Amino acid sequence: MSIIEVRNLYKSFNGVEILKNVNLKVEEGERIAIIGGSGGGKSVFLRCLELLEIPDNGEIFINGQEITAPNADIDKIRQNMGMVYQKFHLFQHLNVMENLTLAPIKLLKMSKAEAEKKAIGWLEKVSLTSKKFSYPNELSGGQQQRIAICRSLMMNPKLMLFDEPTSALDPTMVGEVLATIRMLSKIKLTMIIVTHEMNFAKEVADRILFFADHGIYEQGTPKQIFDNPQKPLTVAFIHKLKFFHYDIYDKNFDLIQMQGKIWEFAEKYGLNRKQTFNLQHCCEESIFEIFDGVYKTDEKINISIDIEYSESNKQTEIKIASIGRQYNPFDVDIDDDDTEHLGIMIINKIAQNVTYEYNDNVNLIKIQI
Amino acid sequence: MIYEIFIKNDAWLTILNGFLITVEISAFSLICGTILGTIVCFCRMSKFTVLSILAKIYISIVRGSPVLMLLMLLFYGVFAGSGLSPLFVAVVTFSLHTAAYVAELLRSAIMATDIGQVEAARTLGFSKWQAFRFITLPQIAHIAKPVYQSIIVNLIQWTSVVGYVTITDLTRVINNIASRTMQPMITITGGLLIYLSISYIVYGVFTLTNRSSTK
Repeated sequence: MSIIEVRNLYKSFNGVEILKNVNLKVEEGERIAIIGGSGGGKSVFLRCLELLEIPDNGEIFINGQEITAPNADIDKIRQNMGMVYQKFHLFQHLNVMENLTLAPIKLLKMSKAEAEKKAIGWLEKVSLTSKKFSYPNELSGGQQQRIAICRSLMMNPKLMLFDEPTSALDPTMVGEVLATIRMLSKIKLTMIIVTHEMNFAKEVADRILFFADHGIYEQGTPKQIFDNPQKPLTVAFIHKLKFFHYDIYDKNFDLIQMQGKIWEFAEKYGLNRKQTFNLQHCCEESIFEIFDGVYKTDEKINISIDIEYSESNKQTEIKIASIGRQYNPFDVDIDDDDTEHLGIMIINKIAQNVTYEYNDNVNLIKIQI
Repeated sequence: MIYEIFIKNDAWLTILNGFLITVEISAFSLICGTILGTIVCFCRMSKFTVLSILAKIYISIVRGSPVLMLLMLLFYGVFAGSGLSPLFVAVVTFSLHTAAYVAELLRSAIMATDIGQVEAARTLGFSKWQAFRFITLPQIAHIAKPVYQSIIVNLIQWTSVVGYVTITDLTRVINNIASRTMQPMITITGGLLIYLSISYIVYGVFTLTNRSSTK
């Protein structure tokens, strides 16, 4: 039996669809990392599992019990699940020891002594025994998060959900929290972690879910997702692709404006001066070659330029599509003092690789820099 | 002379009676006002817009007008000829008055608590009521305490206007003695000291509860 089973989950807020037909099965002991851009519904999905958000449609089974059923004993089911929040949410009016022991004493009817003994056990594991009488506001973010993790573990959950546990922390404190979660991955505990720490996800998870387009867009082992993603949005996310787009419909288009926009794009993602100039040159030269080759004097012009920049490997690719008759500007013989094809010479010099194809009335030039 | 003003001819008994009246009105108004204030706060924060607007109107009227006007309105207007005792009308007035302040106080305290902590409690397996009882309520109490304390002290001081509706409270008694003995300076200073000591007893009680709760 799967520890979590989600069937046809739908969730929207004020008519904006967040999750659409999400299905998932998680087996006991599995460690799952959820990655994806913001607004992809990762956190909402996690909150739906805890029924902190009520799904519009669909069923969620935790350990075989349907938590979405109208007569479900939600409080009882939740006792088996731990949840760790981005902002810790420790009980501010209680000290660390009371934070840890409140739930076991009240809900599991544990004796105070027993609960405190158990709390000390967990505090030792996260090396915070010295803080047992401190109040949450006296602790650093990293310490608070470690206590929050212990607070959940005090209930002996079968399943732990982490909602971006390190996103609200100083970079210096991320490590200690990740180390704690890593420690948990050694005991048999099912975990779902929403995270932006890609290396951590790669190392600790058995399965990666990439959330985009209202649900689980692609899933697989860390190797599959990080080294060989299959679908376009996953590729774009993993390689941190950035996009630029510009359309031209007129020979007297605003060249300066286009160059300005390319410059803005390059500036935004930290391309250096040379890369920026190269981009601008390649675009400009290609456009004028296409003007001359593809279109006659009075013909309607339709050129679109797409630039793709990968932040992870610093590669840039320019795609120039022009609708019109077939013409490959690079299919020319060039000798050294040819002045007519100066543009082509420049591009050839800058580019690592240039390809050309013609399909359905569209000339497509790809230039890799 | 102090003996003559405050003790002689059962003067102390009259003062004690006035003092008891003041305490009585304050205590009843505080209890009823707090309960009513909780209800008003509940309405104010309710999802039903009508309730919320009504509560808002109530709060702004009561907080925006002098309590003496409210008292006279109820005594000479609304309850005129109803045969209700002036004491009762005073308690009603001050309850209504306190309720408005308590409602706003509770609302700000509730808004200052962190919904995330309630969610954290719920995901540990606490029911809605348990989460309120163990997490929200202690925090509301902690936040609201200092302001609640001054609401009480203000209430006690405001009850000094009940003389207008024929009630012989501490202020009225002091006033009577002052005219009788022709010694306003000493008499009124004495009355002031009594009010002052009541206020400090209230502060003292709060300090004690603070100490026991941090232990």
